[in-house]
Amino acid sequence: KMAGGEKTRQWKQEEEQQQKEKQEGLIEFYSSYQELFQFFCSNTTIHGAIRLVCSKKNKMKTAFWSVLFFLTFGLMYWQFGILYREYFSYPVNLNLNLNSDRLTFPAVTLCTLNPYRYSAIRKKLDELDQITHQTLMDLYGYNMSLSRSEWSVPGTQKRSSRSLLHQVQRHPLRRQKRDNVNVVNLPENSPSVDKNDWKIGFVLCSENNKDCFHQAYSSGVDAVREWYSFHYINILAQMPDAKALDESDFENFIYSCRFNEATCDKANYTHFHHPLYGNCYTFNDNSSSLWTSSLPGINNGLSLVVRTEQNDFIPLLSTVTGARVMVHDQNEPAFMDDGGFNVRPGIETSISMRKEMTVRLGGSYSDCTEDGSDVPVQNLFSSRYTEQVCIRSCFQLNMVERCGCAYYFYPLPAGAQYCDYTKHVAWGYCYYKLLAEFKGDKLSCFHKCRKPCKMTQYQLSAGYSRWPSAVSEDWVFHVLSQQNKYNITSKRNGVAKVNIFFEEWNYKTNGESPAFTVVTLLSQLGNQWSLWFGSSVLSVMELAELILDFIAITFILGLRWGRSRQQLSVLGPAPATHGTAACHAEAPPLAAPHRFTVEAVVTMLPSYNSLDPRGPSREG
Amino acid sequence: AMAPGKKIKARIKRTLPVRGPQAPTLSELMRWYCLNTNTHGCRRIVVSRGRLRRFIWILLTLSAVGLILWQCAELLLNYYSASVSVTVQFQKLPFPAVTICNINPYKYSSMKDYLSELDKETKKALETFYGFSEGKSKVRRSVDEWNSTGSDFFKQIPLLKFEDFSKTATDLHSGQKRKIEGSVFHKDSSIVNSGDSNDIIGFQLCDADNSSDCALYTFSSGVNAIQEWYKLHYMNIMAQIPLETKEQASYSADDLLLTCFFDGLSCDKRHFTRFHHPLHGNCYTFNSGENGTVLSTSTGGSEYGLQVVLYIDEADYNPFLVTSTGAKIIVHDQDEYPFIEDIGTEIETAAATSIGMHFTRSRKLSKPYSDCTETGADIPVENLYNKSYSLQICLHSCFQKAMVNSCGCAQYAQPLPPGAEYCNYKKNPNWMYCYYRLHEKFVKEQLGCQQICKDACSFKEWALTTSIAQWPSTVSEDWMLRVLSWDKGQKLNKKLNKTDLANLMVFYKDLNERFISENPANTLVILLSNFGGQLGLWMSCSVVCVIEIVEVFFIDSLSIVLRRQWQKAKKWWNDRKRQRSGKPPQAADLERQGHDNPVCLDEDLPTFNTALRLPLPQGSPLPRTPPPNYSTLRLESAFSEQLPDTLEPGRH
Repeated sequence: KMAGGEKTRQWKQEEEQQQKEKQEGLIEFYSSYQELFQFFCSNTTIHGAIRLVCSKKNKMKTAFWSVLFFLTFGLMYWQFGILYREYFSYPVNLNLNLNSDRLTFPAVTLCTLNPYRYSAIRKKLDELDQITHQTLMDLYGYNMSLSRSEWSVPGTQKRSSRSLLHQVQRHPLRRQKRDNVNVVNLPENSPSVDKNDWKIGFVLCSENNKDCFHQAYSSGVDAVREWYSFHYINILAQMPDAKALDESDFENFIYSCRFNEATCDKANYTHFHHPLYGNCYTFNDNSSSLWTSSLPGINNGLSLVVRTEQNDFIPLLSTVTGARVMVHDQNEPAFMDDGGFNVRPGIETSISMRKEMTVRLGGSYSDCTEDGSDVPVQNLFSSRYTEQVCIRSCFQLNMVERCGCAYYFYPLPAGAQYCDYTKHVAWGYCYYKLLAEFKGDKLSCFHKCRKPCKMTQYQLSAGYSRWPSAVSEDWVFHVLSQQNKYNITSKRNGVAKVNIFFEEWNYKTNGESPAFTVVTLLSQLGNQWSLWFGSSVLSVMELAELILDFIAITFILGLRWGRSRQQLSVLGPAPATHGTAACHAEAPPLAAPHRFTVEAVVTMLPSYNSLDPRGPSREG
Repeated sequence: AMAPGKKIKARIKRTLPVRGPQAPTLSELMRWYCLNTNTHGCRRIVVSRGRLRRFIWILLTLSAVGLILWQCAELLLNYYSASVSVTVQFQKLPFPAVTICNINPYKYSSMKDYLSELDKETKKALETFYGFSEGKSKVRRSVDEWNSTGSDFFKQIPLLKFEDFSKTATDLHSGQKRKIEGSVFHKDSSIVNSGDSNDIIGFQLCDADNSSDCALYTFSSGVNAIQEWYKLHYMNIMAQIPLETKEQASYSADDLLLTCFFDGLSCDKRHFTRFHHPLHGNCYTFNSGENGTVLSTSTGGSEYGLQVVLYIDEADYNPFLVTSTGAKIIVHDQDEYPFIEDIGTEIETAAATSIGMHFTRSRKLSKPYSDCTETGADIPVENLYNKSYSLQICLHSCFQKAMVNSCGCAQYAQPLPPGAEYCNYKKNPNWMYCYYRLHEKFVKEQLGCQQICKDACSFKEWALTTSIAQWPSTVSEDWMLRVLSWDKGQKLNKKLNKTDLANLMVFYKDLNERFISENPANTLVILLSNFGGQLGLWMSCSVVCVIEIVEVFFIDSLSIVLRRQWQKAKKWWNDRKRQRSGKPPQAADLERQGHDNPVCLDEDLPTFNTALRLPLPQGSPLPRTPPPNYSTLRLESAFSEQLPDTLEPGRH
């Protein structure tokens, strides 16, 4: 019976509710703060907050819960702080991969170590050589008069070189005693080396000769070479067709070339000329048909026989004999002075390579650049961005800006011309000053140029053996001289053999991956949140809703109060509005159905009365 | 007497009754779920007042679900990532095995008998093509015409001189021009010797069965051509010589090693293990671990490493086979095979070579993190070397296998598979052609070896730094050579020359072992806690709530839908029956749906049994019943049953 009665009652309520739902407004507000909090307390899902707000009758409990609440709140934010700190330090995981794909053979650049054949450039350098001989004679008493007489200087040449003589004498090489007050006391541009009492160098002055400094060296060999190459650059810069002067004589330099047991052909190399390292041949540089190594080992690499004979070298410039090899990535310029490897004559040099790739994470994880487009330095080289390319471009751009001309060894920026002291009198002074600043990173080139995110390195190690062996020497030289029509006079020193090969089939990739991603951060935050509060983002939304409602109700109540004040001034004082009952009475007719809805629903809801034994009484 | 099976069934039914879902319709089920679930957000959908409010809460809840799914998918995708740890340990390091070979494999003097024919041929070629003749031609008329048939083969595969890509070539023997057909393999370039006077040298390999199918090998440099051609014939000859003879013809430990010093103590040839390499003759492995002991160094530095002086008898070199002088060494692990021909480091004569080592050990995680193999047992290539697996071994074994399969004999440079024998053109006249074809295929990855063979998961490597100094110095040269000659003693009558000697030092630069290992970046625990974090962050959900979702949204909803369908079917059936019997349809039947379902009126909630199996009581003329007993919708009443002690006193 009881059950039946209950059911009918419930059914009635259901019926009512359905009716009400039909009338439900778009958004409905509570009629009082109490109702608002009542609703919040009975429906919220934030664990601590329920106890804090909704056990208001029990002061002891409220105090206890508020302590707990703030404690957990503090703990959570402490943990949050730790998590955020970890996240914003952008930690990375190091990934080590061993790949065993087919290896693309790197580009190999081989240089003759002799910029021009001496016989071809002799006329241009003759004046300078004379002065150098004279200087050597004066300073060291060394008479370097080899075959001078053979090359008599033509009269036409003499006239043009008068200016050269003048220029060279502007920067004479001289020796001075250390701590000698009688000699002009000039500031030095180089660190002093306490080797002996003497130092040797040359003086560089600014345009108006007001500021001078002494570019000093402790060793005469260094000083003479540096001084010579300084003038040599000037002479080259004066020649309009310096790069055309030299004919590329590949056949005369590389006697034999094999890759992977097959003969190389013309398509496999490109040629460029370096003012100091001479004719350079880069193998495997064109991207259309790259060599790939199928197996590691000496037989599957590049094998070259090169001529290293020194008959035609410029005596004061090329002090090294042999050839220079460099292994680099395709589309990267070969900076021979950075990563070269000298090949000795008469020796077979076997260079084994290990490839290693480094891939950094860009963005906020590390300070690297993908393609250099975000680096504030214009790339003067026609190659891909590398750190060295950037640094050199940076120096060259600074040079053009400060000295008004470009350094001969680096590419020419648009609209500039190479330095040459017939046009730019004080460029040497400017250059050496700039170089000192550059090295001290005052130009902030090292700062501006960031590392590329993707780098390929080749770790080289070499083994040497004598080549050709004593017993095979005869026939090998004979065949070589027959075939290449070159009379190798100084036999063993005339040739060298180079093998470049991969030591391992697999290569290492050092990669990075973010150790702490947004996903992990959110998971960690969620963990903490759940641990201390058992709440979620949606609980926060509940709180936000509460606050919005609070504001809205304040506004509505304020409005209503204002209206009632208006009415009051007309009708006289009304009973004070206390609690819901009063509210009901005072509610404007428009809000009536709303209020009704609110009330009805409130009764339907769980009241958590277990939490609040003396809660407000309800119907039923 | 019931059957025991039935009895148990009945008992289970009684004690564990199967009940249906909590609500008869889907919308009520959802309502019930939302009010009772622990998941945040859902409850608000029901209790919120106002359509906009409700809509916003639906939106929020759904987006939270979406975020959870997305983030958890990310977590799953990133599960198989590895992190790398690098440890540096200072410890007593085991010294690696060091294998030393003379570049020249066999003493020329002792091999002369076998090679005389070939050498004669080579000299002839040099004379014909380059006009080179040995000045003081030592008359080496070998009495023993060991291999008279060999010359036939030299004639079959002679060196040829091509004239400017015309199809004619000059034969070495006959001097006649012969027509050359076949594809040019290493098509020569004009980079070297573009001049017209010198022509291209090469040789031609033909299929013995089909002589029109030929491959032509040309070389840009005569040196290479002659060496290649010599090597080709040399391997044929070597394949026919028994191993013992070859071992004797090669260098003995006494021949090669003059002095030996290890870790500050003297050592001798007993510390070296001989091993015969097909291309490099006798090689000697120091510290091979053969007798079970592996030596280790106490300190780093060149004084405490291996120091040997090698005797490289340059005068006894084969002039055509090798053109460089020195020794080859390789540093490897005790159970690794030394691939001297591939990665050996050359040692120069008349020089002291110091090789500093730096030891690195690496370990990768195998599947599913990366595709590597622990032992090589899962690779379908038989390991022909009796050493531990490496990628190199696998590739070489794979090639040798393919060689035996397609050419019928084994290549000389690699170990012999069981049941096969080395190629020589007495028995396999076709092998060279076959080999070159096969090798080309291998290089182009058409044999599939590169696909089958995988990396090894753990490996050791010794990074070497080489430096060279002149040795012996001019002032010490005199006495040192004298002492060494005296040491060498009775066997050798001549005084040693410094170009016959090489000094080698192999040592640890420091005793740091760098150990690079991969560890799983995620464990199951981390994955689960991250899942928990995501679920908690967005919805305060847990595994229980996931189960709850499955229960309500799949099982309960399904059962409700099924019940609906069942009722429809039932009704349709009844209608048909009635139509047949001619009775007018009863009004009560039409209305009986949802709340009116008499099944729902039971004191118990509807069960699966009642819903699915029990036929509806026919024609029960019940009045329209009140709404079902969803007391759970009213939490007060539910609470009043469960928690009577917390109720207001006024209610009792």
